[in-house]
Amino acid sequence: MGAGGGFMLAESIKHPVEHLIPYAVPPEEFSSGIATWYNSICGMCPAGCGISVRTREGRAKKIEGNPSHPVNQGRLCALGQAGLQVLYNPDRLTAPMLQSGERGSGEFVQTTWNEGLSEVASRLSASTNNDGIYFVSEGVRGHLANLFELFMNELGSANLLHYDFAHPHSLYAANNHIFGERQLPYYDIRNSRYLLSFGADYLNDWLSPVHHGLGFGHSRQGNGDARGRFVQIEPRMSISGASADEWIPATPGSEGILALGIAQQILAGGNYQGTDADDWNAALATYSAAYVEDKTGVPADTVARIASEFSHAEPGLAIGGGAAGNHTNGVDTLVAVNALNYLVGNIGKPGGVVFNPDPVVGSSTAGRQANFAAMQDLAENARQGAIEVLIINNTNPLFTLPPGAGLKEALASIPLVVSLSSFMDETTAMADIILPSHTYLESWGDDMPQPGVGFSVGAVSQPVVSPLYNTRATGDIILGLAGKMGLGEAMGWDSMEDYIKDSWRNVYERGSPDAGGFDSFWREVLTSGAWGENTRNSNSVVIDKQVIDNIAVAEAEFSGNPDEYPFVLHPYLSTTLYDGRGANLPWMQELPDPMTSIVYGSWVELNPQTANEMGIQDGDLLRITSEHGSIEVPAVTFPAIMPDVVAMPIGQGHEEFGRYARNRGSNPIQILAPNMDAVSGSLATSATRVSLAQTGRRAAPVKTGGESRQLGRNIVQSTGADGDSAGHSAKLNSIPIVVDPA
Amino acid sequence: MSVSIVPTLKVLLPAARIALVALIGLIGGYYANAMFFPGTSPEQPIDFSHRVHAGENEIPCMYCHVQARRSISAGVPSVNKCMGCHTDIATDRPQIRLLASYWENKEPIPWVKVHDLPDFVHFTHKRHVQADIECQTCHGPVETMDVVSREAPVEMGLCLNCHKDNEVVHGTDCWTCHK
Repeated sequence: MGAGGGFMLAESIKHPVEHLIPYAVPPEEFSSGIATWYNSICGMCPAGCGISVRTREGRAKKIEGNPSHPVNQGRLCALGQAGLQVLYNPDRLTAPMLQSGERGSGEFVQTTWNEGLSEVASRLSASTNNDGIYFVSEGVRGHLANLFELFMNELGSANLLHYDFAHPHSLYAANNHIFGERQLPYYDIRNSRYLLSFGADYLNDWLSPVHHGLGFGHSRQGNGDARGRFVQIEPRMSISGASADEWIPATPGSEGILALGIAQQILAGGNYQGTDADDWNAALATYSAAYVEDKTGVPADTVARIASEFSHAEPGLAIGGGAAGNHTNGVDTLVAVNALNYLVGNIGKPGGVVFNPDPVVGSSTAGRQANFAAMQDLAENARQGAIEVLIINNTNPLFTLPPGAGLKEALASIPLVVSLSSFMDETTAMADIILPSHTYLESWGDDMPQPGVGFSVGAVSQPVVSPLYNTRATGDIILGLAGKMGLGEAMGWDSMEDYIKDSWRNVYERGSPDAGGFDSFWREVLTSGAWGENTRNSNSVVIDKQVIDNIAVAEAEFSGNPDEYPFVLHPYLSTTLYDGRGANLPWMQELPDPMTSIVYGSWVELNPQTANEMGIQDGDLLRITSEHGSIEVPAVTFPAIMPDVVAMPIGQGHEEFGRYARNRGSNPIQILAPNMDAVSGSLATSATRVSLAQTGRRAAPVKTGGESRQLGRNIVQSTGADGDSAGHSAKLNSIPIVVDPA
Repeated sequence: MSVSIVPTLKVLLPAARIALVALIGLIGGYYANAMFFPGTSPEQPIDFSHRVHAGENEIPCMYCHVQARRSISAGVPSVNKCMGCHTDIATDRPQIRLLASYWENKEPIPWVKVHDLPDFVHFTHKRHVQADIECQTCHGPVETMDVVSREAPVEMGLCLNCHKDNEVVHGTDCWTCHK
């Protein structure tokens, strides 16, 4: 027995058998043990940063920013870095599937690509009404967007929609209204000396946060001794607000009134000399300092001071977005913000608003962006039986639309729902046929970043690894369907790679012909990952007298009676999970929220004074109720929020979307009122009033920070705003805050 | 009155004898395993002979292990590298037919590792090859082996002695290898 034991002991400490498995045929540029870097495009949010992916032995190992890409210049945010967990996610859809039980039952059987594509193609061919075919995609650009256009055109349907929860519809509408620009301009934060941000959390989620971060750093530290100043106006301190020199809370929905008040002060101070000054004076007469103080809660002398500082900074830049643009008066507000830029004369100047040239790669998708009104129409059409086939591409409207849109019930009236998603999200779970797409790290594609950086930029996305599963690139699925339906004439490319390469010949021909011909140009684009051209848009702008005469900001409307629902709900995009798409990535789940240090789960932020009055403590489970539903979330006291506002991050509360996302936290969108901006039709996410109630239970959120107060340790020396020493109640702007109660 | 613990210990005597026999058995078993099942020359999926290739035909090591001079790993030749010669040479032998069957199925050959360093050791072929260290220093006289076996004990002593003999800069620092 002893001998047997000794034998087994020796056996157990041997190295396990390891194999050395070579390739049958090694890929080009492959060397075992040596990393290969591929430049491509990040697909995690609509900013379109360039990425460099380190691969070894055919596996992606690390994602960094591409230094040659003008948007992010080598930097990359946490969500971009977590792209590897999209690729290697254990909950990816690995093969085409057919719903085998009731819709929504979650019962699927695997099928082949041939069968899946044939089934969808035959149902598309059999549709009696071309306009009964709907295609709802995530926001895509470049030639994939062109391919969708071609496909829907061939099918004879006009119903192609790009739907992203966070798409800034109101900002597009405002720029179109005041400047006649259908694209977003480039906001040159880098060269501005005074940045006035109305609700735009530009360092976190607004438009192109990595690029803004670079610009902000330069405006602060890149100009020798001249340090750019930055003022943030919002009801709840965001990450951008935390970086500001001055944080000004204004009554939710009144940001536009404040902007016009500042504009009025600029005119009153004689700081605008344009020929249309009289028109502006007449239009802004009502926005006197007293009126603005009454509506916004911002003291008149602060308004006058900001106006003076802003108009004397050379140049000053005003940006607007986030919650300020997500009220029922969102477009009014953003028009007012743009008026400030016009009045200080920064249009087309470095450090101001620079118009972008038309896209070189692909065409503009401005007319295809589906706002809340369009999604409501879609649901209405479905209910009336006008939709025969609905194709969903990688977007999750059942999670990001308030239940008031009625989409989930409406799906029951659509005979065929097809999803091209890579994951089993809430919307895909309701599909009849799933044709799973590659992740962006396995696909060919191209892009022209929106908003651009003031000149033409294009980029190509290439597969950095071989496909892990039996999935296909979205473009190839569309080409496959077209092939099955016999649309080969118009869409005769063998693959998306073919189509992209073919289309880039046009880009090649724009420049001076390269001695090496197209192939050498193409290799260069793939190697550098980005292509640029010094084409700029005209930078002069004249604003119609009519636009000036009618400039005004309507008062924001809210759903719910203030007596019954005393708080304004301020939902904001999560730093880590964006609009919820990061919730299935463990890295993002365990990344602490920068403002509260909370990991995993949801929470509601409320002012400590409000919490005190209501007897609420950190970690008490609250029931938040609006006219449209209620959810339960733990309370977190947050000093920098207005006493009558409660804030909640968006992103958690998934019912599907894999093991890491499911049944974690709650989704504030579930209780939003279906209010819209009257002009843009965009969902007014900040226009819902709520009430809070104790449930009597506790559910302390998991934090890395532990205690946010100093407990007398004097770690941060501070002085109360009224001149008192630390340890007393103080006021931060108009908000009462408690500084480290002893 | 004195109390002796000897009677108490005597009760344990049979148990101690059993333990002693078991210990001897344990040691014997351990060495029997090490002697008769050393695992230093594992069976490979194809009976590839280094003696024939590197010895008789004098093919340089880095003709097949091309990565050794520029990568941390030496690299096992891909199947198409083998077929580069064996499309024409000795195509009728059973082992070459076996190779060809892998090639026809475009399947890799699952070679078994003979030399394996633990994961906490950072070793790079590139530096050693570029410093003109003979492959045989660590791998033994591979050109004489029909079945490759692990002859030199590739352990810390071998690394350190060689680093000392060659006066490698920082050659005995912990972090040179354990990083």
